[in-house]
Amino acid sequence: MQKFLLSTAAVLGLTSFAAAQDLAQAENAWFKAGQATIAARLAVQPNTNKARNVILFTADGNGVGTNYAIRLFEGQKLGGLGDDHVQPQEAFPYAALVKTYSTNGQTPDSAPTAAAMNSGVKTKNDLINMPDSVAVGDCAAGLATSMTLFSDIATQLGKSVGVVSTARITHATPAAVYARTVNRDWEDNSSIPEGCAQKDIAAQLFDAMKAGTIDLALGGGRQHFLPETVTDSEGKPGKRTDGRNITEEVKALGGQYVENDVDFMALTLGNNAPILGLFEPSHMKYEQDRSGEPSLAQMTEAAIKSLQSNDNGFYLMVEAGRVDHANHAGNLHRTLVDGVAFNDAIRKALELTSAEDTLIIVTADHEHAISFNGYCGRGSAITGLCMEINEAGVEHTGTPETAADGKPYTVAGYLNGAGSVLVEQADGSFSGTRPADLTNEIAMDPDYLQQALIPMTSETHSGEDVMVFAQGPWAHLFGGTIEQNVIFHVMNYAVNAQ
Amino acid sequence: MHRRPVLLALCAVTAAPWRAVAQDGPIRLRDLYNHDLSFSDLALAHEGKRLSIAGFMAPPLKADSQFYVLTKMPMAVCPFCEPGQAWPDDILAVYERRIVTVFPFNVPIVTRGILELGDHVDPDLGFYSRVRIVEAVTDRA
Repeated sequence: MQKFLLSTAAVLGLTSFAAAQDLAQAENAWFKAGQATIAARLAVQPNTNKARNVILFTADGNGVGTNYAIRLFEGQKLGGLGDDHVQPQEAFPYAALVKTYSTNGQTPDSAPTAAAMNSGVKTKNDLINMPDSVAVGDCAAGLATSMTLFSDIATQLGKSVGVVSTARITHATPAAVYARTVNRDWEDNSSIPEGCAQKDIAAQLFDAMKAGTIDLALGGGRQHFLPETVTDSEGKPGKRTDGRNITEEVKALGGQYVENDVDFMALTLGNNAPILGLFEPSHMKYEQDRSGEPSLAQMTEAAIKSLQSNDNGFYLMVEAGRVDHANHAGNLHRTLVDGVAFNDAIRKALELTSAEDTLIIVTADHEHAISFNGYCGRGSAITGLCMEINEAGVEHTGTPETAADGKPYTVAGYLNGAGSVLVEQADGSFSGTRPADLTNEIAMDPDYLQQALIPMTSETHSGEDVMVFAQGPWAHLFGGTIEQNVIFHVMNYAVNAQ
Repeated sequence: MHRRPVLLALCAVTAAPWRAVAQDGPIRLRDLYNHDLSFSDLALAHEGKRLSIAGFMAPPLKADSQFYVLTKMPMAVCPFCEPGQAWPDDILAVYERRIVTVFPFNVPIVTRGILELGDHVDPDLGFYSRVRIVEAVTDRA
């Protein structure tokens, strides 16, 4: 009651303050929208319920810059200018900037970042849920340590746990929900050095399903669950050299196993038996190229509907894994199409859950070397050319801006990667020039690689911050600029709050 | 009795992309596939025929070879995303007339040769392909 009175008083105070000012711009639409935002913020009340459910959405490689690009892309796809578009997570009441560095990397990879969110501590690059006292690849040191994961805590509270990713389900981000490894690349037994007793990541997923700490896993990575002597439904062989067919082992547990969208749609949800869906030998397809596989939103929907059958609630991690991969490729179009698919998955989760009892967190593990040019007029396609600002209006003039070399340039580019304008010459040196014939049509082609500077085979991550957006129980614990491992601590507080 | 109109219609469908190819230069790799990765009408119409395809040369698997992989986008091993070096489905195996002149993986190229469709495993390299260009000549775009 006291909170309500305070809030009402604050809103009334705002109204009288604005009226008293009598500003000339008071009727301007931007001014009114600003006033409405303040009123909405004043009405926000912290939710101190115990979180029944927690959903952690991570778009891999979706830092502040990539998130900005997805915002414009989705907004422009909907027919707007893009920059004023609001993505579903951007309407959440709470947000913070997140520092993503690992204990030995100014630039992290996806292993320590996902580990920070699932274990509550930062660690070294390439390690998943191992303390940073362990050297990468030190099998014995890894076996001598132990960490309790958020999935363990959720299980102890009687909750169900699911993990969904468009990457291999054994890839770093999803693996951090259930696995502990001294090397993120040990996805099946063939990668593990002889004499090392650490289990590979796929085998650890099976153990988690058997133990009941993972109830559902949907993603790619079939090759790591099949022996090299067995081919899957696409005719691709497995990679395991220990003869284990983990898909059959899951079925032997009474679980369901599917490999394509048709069988996926026929899954029986909510019967408390493990569900394993592996839709590609390696990563699932980019959304741009998707065929024969469920979308991220469909997998999210199936996961929530399945896990919701547990009255004690659930923990679900959903990863848009290929935002990162398309950034690595320097192909902004696919990055953004997968970003929109991520937004669709968030919208589906919002539709199927209530903020009263479900803490939804939307974040990323790290950013990329993506960068943005200026000075582009509004409505310049985010994958296209930077167009001149229209001094007499709102939308750009339709004339491309040009650089000192007289050539047009795109709105977005990469600091490094395969799109480098410096090309290896016959003598091994690198030199080059920007193409003169770049048009908006060429730049907006789905297969176009934005221009980059430093030549690299694969564009890199960067250490730049990412955002975390949250709604639901204890989401108000997010604010300011935080270390990435704090995300675990908010989830842990929310499910244990008295 | 209705066969002739059907045949004519088929010719019209397959002729249109060919005209586009002739007028606009090399096709792209994606023109060979439908969205579900089945072969497009254009690909089926050009099986056994000579055509030009634009793309990029993946780093050759072997030195002094007559074989390389054409990709739709610059494609090299990615240290973070592809430790297993899993190549995408929509690539093209190219068998050159001569030893391959290697171009950097991110330099646009055009290859011209005879289109072959269907599963094939290279007897020397063990490389599996669904679509190939043989008797090929490749140059910068």
